[in-house]
Order: sequence, then structure tokens, then C-alpha cells
Amino acid sequence: MPDLEPIIGRYLSVNVDEVNYRIYFEEAGEGIPLLCLHTAGADSRQFRHLLNDTEVTRRYRVIAFDMPYHGRSNPPDGWWLQKYLLTMKGYLALVRSVWLALGLERPVVMGGSMGGAIVLKLAAEYQRELHGIIGLESSAFAPGRYNDYLHHPAIHGSELVASYTFGLCAPSSPEASRRENWWYYSQSGPGVYAGDVHYYSLDWDGREDIKTIDTSVCKVSLLTGEYDYSCTPDMTRAVAAAIGGSRLVIMNGMGHFPMIENYPAFREFLRPELDFMATA
Amino acid sequence: MPQTANPIFSDDWLGRAQTRVNADPEMQVIGTWFTTAFSLTCTDRRAEQRAIVRFERGRLVDIFPSPRLDVRCAFGFRAALEIWTKFFAANPEPLYHDFFAMLMRVPGFVLEGDTLVAMQNARALHRAMNVMRGVEP
Repeated sequence: MPDLEPIIGRYLSVNVDEVNYRIYFEEAGEGIPLLCLHTAGADSRQFRHLLNDTEVTRRYRVIAFDMPYHGRSNPPDGWWLQKYLLTMKGYLALVRSVWLALGLERPVVMGGSMGGAIVLKLAAEYQRELHGIIGLESSAFAPGRYNDYLHHPAIHGSELVASYTFGLCAPSSPEASRRENWWYYSQSGPGVYAGDVHYYSLDWDGREDIKTIDTSVCKVSLLTGEYDYSCTPDMTRAVAAAIGGSRLVIMNGMGHFPMIENYPAFREFLRPELDFMATA
Repeated sequence: MPQTANPIFSDDWLGRAQTRVNADPEMQVIGTWFTTAFSLTCTDRRAEQRAIVRFERGRLVDIFPSPRLDVRCAFGFRAALEIWTKFFAANPEPLYHDFFAMLMRVPGFVLEGDTLVAMQNARALHRAMNVMRGVEP
């Protein structure tokens, strides 16, 4: 018998503002929809351990998709005529379109980094459509990550982006896992990480939006790694302070990519939050 | 400024760093195009210690403690002793565990010179600095 993982990959067509996208997603499990958003310049492979975790998938339908331009989701037609710059508005619309196209009923949306930022906006805008959000490395305002070298003709973008993000992992996370994330980062297209960081570090400011989140309607769990220097623990503490009833977990010995850099440790932090999300 | 006797970037420390970097199997894989020179500068209240290290195809081939003005380098890292001490700690605290982290969050840690050359060599430079972390003070 072949040693198959339970993950199934498929393609989904969505239309956002008259633009068609072919979206690749992977899923496993049954139960409450848990929609997972990867970090800037990466793709849904970051969630492979979660998708293979039967303790999670026996009560959650875990779905992770690649944003357009990332992984196996193509850019839209005509991409060569426009510079890739992700915006808050476009990101928000795309994520919502995916859960509507899949017919997910009141999903939990979990995102990391830029995904951890957009889940805050999703909760502010669509809290009655959501079961809850789990923000991994969530900040409401995260300047300082953009620089022009991230997409520069004199620099090997893949190696720079992968090295630039490598130290966002905690030094104590398993080397093979940190290197795996390095490899994913080395595979983004030219300017894609920079385009994502345009949203994360230049376009995103949710400091007022998050004050409107009602945790009696949409549950909020925030988990941030001790070694994350992009979204520091203090930045997430500020988010938690602005959202009454939110749950905050600072993950000791963890960095910016908990789902991939050290899944065995991460699942111990995540499990109580999934329990919390599953309660009525 | 006069030279100081702090152990970071001393002749002895630099010699051990050279041995360590040149023995690194990963550098032998990724260092093919890593040909450049950069400075390492450590300051404290009384003095400054500066050295230039020159790499040739991933090997640290020359060390210039207290370099004269005719020793060229493309870029360099400069920081106070207390910052370097945290960076080279066996278990570095958050924000001091990676030079990119320090460039973003530690104001006293400076990348000076031609930053383009530094970022062109980001992968091997990052590796070299991390390997040097294993040098005992």
C-alpha cells in the first residue's frame, strides 16, 4: 500500500471584482471549517503538519489555500502588465470570496503574519459570518519590513527573501523545519514577497478597526512567538488590549512561523484555542 | 580611537572565527560567489575595535585587525560591545538572535557602507555570521 497522506488538493475558481482567479487549496478532515492563511511570500505548504494532525482533523475541516501569485495559484490574466502589490482591500475580498465559493458556514479563519493581520480585519468587517479568528503573529500596524532590495535586479531575490525571513524563526526550533520554510520562501515569484509586504507594512493599519470586534459574536485567539521580531509579542499585546474578551498566548521558544518551524510545540499552544473555538 | 582589549574581534577571536567558518560544510556549498570584504566594529565607552575580514569564494582568506586606510571593504557591521555580546551569546535573547532582527529592532546595530553588496551576499553572509556565533569569547 502506498504511504499516502490524508491531504487532498484541488483547484477552485473565484471571481473578485470582475477578475477570475484559479485558486489551489488543500484540505483534510471534517467538522468546523478552519480556513488557514499562509504568510507573505509563502504558500499553503506551511500548514502541512496541521492538515496531517488527526487530532485536529477529526473535528475540523482544515482548508489551506495559496493566494494568487503564490504556490500553485496562478496570477490573474494580464499579470505581466501590472506590478504585484497586495492591498488590504484586495486581500480582504479574496479571502472572503474563497470561503463563500467553498460554501463554508461560519468558519474559523486562522492566519499567520500578513494572514494574522487580515484576520483582524475580517473579524471587524464580517464577524457575524465567522465562528472566530486565530491570529498567529497578529499586529494591527506593522511598519518596517519593506525595503527596495526585496525586488531588485542586482540581487538574487529568492536567496535574499529566504535569508531575510530565516531569522524570524526561533533559534531553538528544529533546523530541518526552519530550513523547510527557507525553501518555501526561496520559491516565491519575483517581487511577490515585496508585494505582500506592501500590504503588511505599508497599507495595513487596523488599529481603529479592531476596536469594533465583538468577541461575543466572533471569538478571537492571538498567538505570537517570543522570538518574532516582525510582529513582536508587545505588538500582539497591543492588539489583545484593544479587543475585549480576546485570548492572548505568547509562545515561548517560538518565532514567526509556528505552524511550520516547530509544529510539535505549536500544537500544544494551539490545541486549547481550538477547544475554545469549538465550544458553543 | 585606541584599540581596546575586549575579546570580541581580538586577533585570537578572529583566528578562531576563520577556522570555524572555513570548516563549515554549508559554506562550501553556498559560498561559490561569496567574494567580498567587510568590517566588524565593536565600540565601547573608551575605545573601538575594528577588523576587516576578506572572503574569497566562501573562504575567509584574510583578516586585518586594526586595518590601515588602504585595506578596502564594501560594507560592515558596527555595534557597541554590549550588543555584540548579546548577539554572540550561546542562547541569544529575542531581537539579538539574528543580524536581520538587530537591523530592524536594535538601533545601535548598524550596517554601514555599500548595503547593496551586503544584500547581494545575504545568504552566505548570514551563514558566516551565524557560524561565527559559535566562537567562544
